[in-house]
Amino acid sequence: MTQAAPALACAACDKAIDCCEFCDRPDCPAAFCYRCVSVALGQATSDLHDHGG
Amino acid sequence: MGFTQVYDYVAGKLDWLAAGLPIEGASAAHPRAGDVARPEVPTCGLEERLEDVQARVRAAGWDACVVVNPERVVLGLLRAKELDGDPDQRIEQAMRPGPSTFRPHVPIAEMAQYMVEHDSQNAPITTSDGRLVGLLRQQDAVRTAHELHQHHHGEEGGPA
Repeated sequence: MTQAAPALACAACDKAIDCCEFCDRPDCPAAFCYRCVSVALGQATSDLHDHGG
Repeated sequence: MGFTQVYDYVAGKLDWLAAGLPIEGASAAHPRAGDVARPEVPTCGLEERLEDVQARVRAAGWDACVVVNPERVVLGLLRAKELDGDPDQRIEQAMRPGPSTFRPHVPIAEMAQYMVEHDSQNAPITTSDGRLVGLLRQQDAVRTAHELHQHHHGEEGGPA
């Protein structure tokens, strides 16, 4: 019987992820998803609007 | 206005910054990840043997090596742990593939904070198309962020 991987969620948006996108660790206590790391470090901009126009 | 050479950088401002290209403005003088990253970090290719790379990296005084292709696109990372692996392995087997990479324009204070919080000793800095700029070491990031903080603190607390 195999055990399921421990659930990990982004500390900022709660999205389910396999590992922290900053440090690549699956057991990171402050894990972030790629999107949230990119926005936090200014590598990407957050969505300006939550609607289509 | 007298400009004779004008270009439209279609990819946008963020891509310009991410490529590590020159910038102007009030914050341009603040050190960023690309300024502090060490471009002289040892590199190796997928086909090399770990034994050969171990010798080269240690002779250069490093404990990390970035795995790149002929265009210097980052493919993997060898940290101290991977460098201590079986010397008969090929790099492709020994490396940590697809490491998280960061862009040169990220402010050094933010990189330092994240590297400490995540206990990350090394962070590869690449352009947006994956080409290696250098390896940012936590100690360099923290020291530079501290100096920047001290500098700002001195300016704010200077004589009236």
